[in-house]
Amino acid sequence: MTAPGRWVAEHWIAVGSPLVSLIAWEWASASGVLREAFFPRPSTMFVHLVQLSADGTLWAHTARSLVRIGWAFALAAVFGVGIGLAMGLWRRLRDGLDPVFAVIYPIPSVLFLPLVSFLVPPGEIALIVTTAVTSFFLVAFTTTHGVRQIDRLVVEAAVHYGARGPRLFASVLLPGALPFIFTGLRLGLGFALIVVVAVEIVSASTGLGALLWLSWQILKVEDMYATFFVIALLGAVLSYGLSALRAWLLPWVQDVAEP
Amino acid sequence: MPGRSPKVVVHEVSVTFESHGRSATALDRISLQAGVGEFLCIVGPSGSGKSTLLRVLAGLVEPSGGQVRIEAEQPGTPLTAMVFQEHALLPWRTVRDNVTFGLENRGVARAEREARAREMLAMVGLTRCAQHYPHQLSGGMKQRVGIARALATDPEVLLMDEPLAALDAQTRTIMQEELLRIWAALGKTVIYVTHSLEEALLLGDRIVLLTARPGRVSQVYPVDLGRPRALEIRGSPAYGALLEKIWSQLREEVVRAMAEDRGGDA
Repeated sequence: MTAPGRWVAEHWIAVGSPLVSLIAWEWASASGVLREAFFPRPSTMFVHLVQLSADGTLWAHTARSLVRIGWAFALAAVFGVGIGLAMGLWRRLRDGLDPVFAVIYPIPSVLFLPLVSFLVPPGEIALIVTTAVTSFFLVAFTTTHGVRQIDRLVVEAAVHYGARGPRLFASVLLPGALPFIFTGLRLGLGFALIVVVAVEIVSASTGLGALLWLSWQILKVEDMYATFFVIALLGAVLSYGLSALRAWLLPWVQDVAEP
Repeated sequence: MPGRSPKVVVHEVSVTFESHGRSATALDRISLQAGVGEFLCIVGPSGSGKSTLLRVLAGLVEPSGGQVRIEAEQPGTPLTAMVFQEHALLPWRTVRDNVTFGLENRGVARAEREARAREMLAMVGLTRCAQHYPHQLSGGMKQRVGIARALATDPEVLLMDEPLAALDAQTRTIMQEELLRIWAALGKTVIYVTHSLEEALLLGDRIVLLTARPGRVSQVYPVDLGRPRALEIRGSPAYGALLEKIWSQLREEVVRAMAEDRGGDA
């Protein structure tokens, strides 16, 4: 089989299922099974998507959201990996922080916004910090677990061959935890997107969440769906991007052992 | 150990583990010696502390009593290097970087490390796999890397903890012959733990039989089967007689250990 032929054979379901859904939706809206006022045809949405991006509105809002996600993700990654590694290495720290994290983690992220606004300047910074909270917990949890699951025999062998202290950390504990850290980063990035949209709906006039909410309030349903589409696309691109980055940076991870 | 000066002296070594407020004696006043260049095999029922003894020699377990002395002939190389049962390679390092790991930690220069790795990989027949990661190798190849990693540090004594136990029968047979070849070429002192008497008879100069719970030295058997040895030795009458003799003793130990397990003190 030729290379493109093989690609089609392996991926036809992944490509086909959204296509079939779109065609079914198009037909349902056109034939009146769905009310077109609330469920416009995908083809109409596409036209609005092109218009929104042509006048720059969509790009401006997307850029605002991306900057917020970027800062929030960076905060979550730096503190999550740092504290997660420390918790993985030191049992007393883990024993102390685990119950605290267990209580805070399940609180819906948006609820942190007022609390965060008391602690840091309200506005942009509060928005970013709030977005970072849930991602931080996810990254910290997976990093801690990543350190803890390293094969004890591998650590013993490394110690036997002379790796101690910082060398042991750099050559065994950190690389051993990296596959899990990447999983945590991927989850954290996904949650940063979810939370930033929620926070923008509640308290911002810019960003994809704000655009979505505004379109809904003035019943520009097509624009609302167009924004939906951009958010979904962004989520997929970020997630696949981190996956690809992981495969490139960690070639030693067996593809079957995806944590 | 006739005619050899002692390389490893284990004197009255005891190891006691504490867990959940109870203490268990893994090794009870074990004494044994291995001569320079000797291939010493240690067999015994499970629970006889064979692996614990190796870990004491490797410096990974601190004995509760007694001493271990290893005669160092060359300065600047480690006393021991261990080949682990489950290979214990670092999955994130290539084959070559696994082999150079010990040298890297000792501060050996890169050029020298890599030359050494090439030499060792050639010896175990893995030259073409230098840039592979462990997960791309078969079980037998991983264990070859484990052996190359140990030999690369040029240790005074090579410790091997059931290195072939996880391999299939054919691979194990090939690896046993490889081990004999490498040992003959390097003349290293080897202390080799195995649960297979047949393997011990094929490889060893002497066989130390341990008892179970606690581990004590039961008997030491010289293996007077000549060298070089190959698989054909299994057909000789002397081999059969020695196997029979050691097995009858080992069998007693195994039965006793099983009876104790059923006795319910565990």
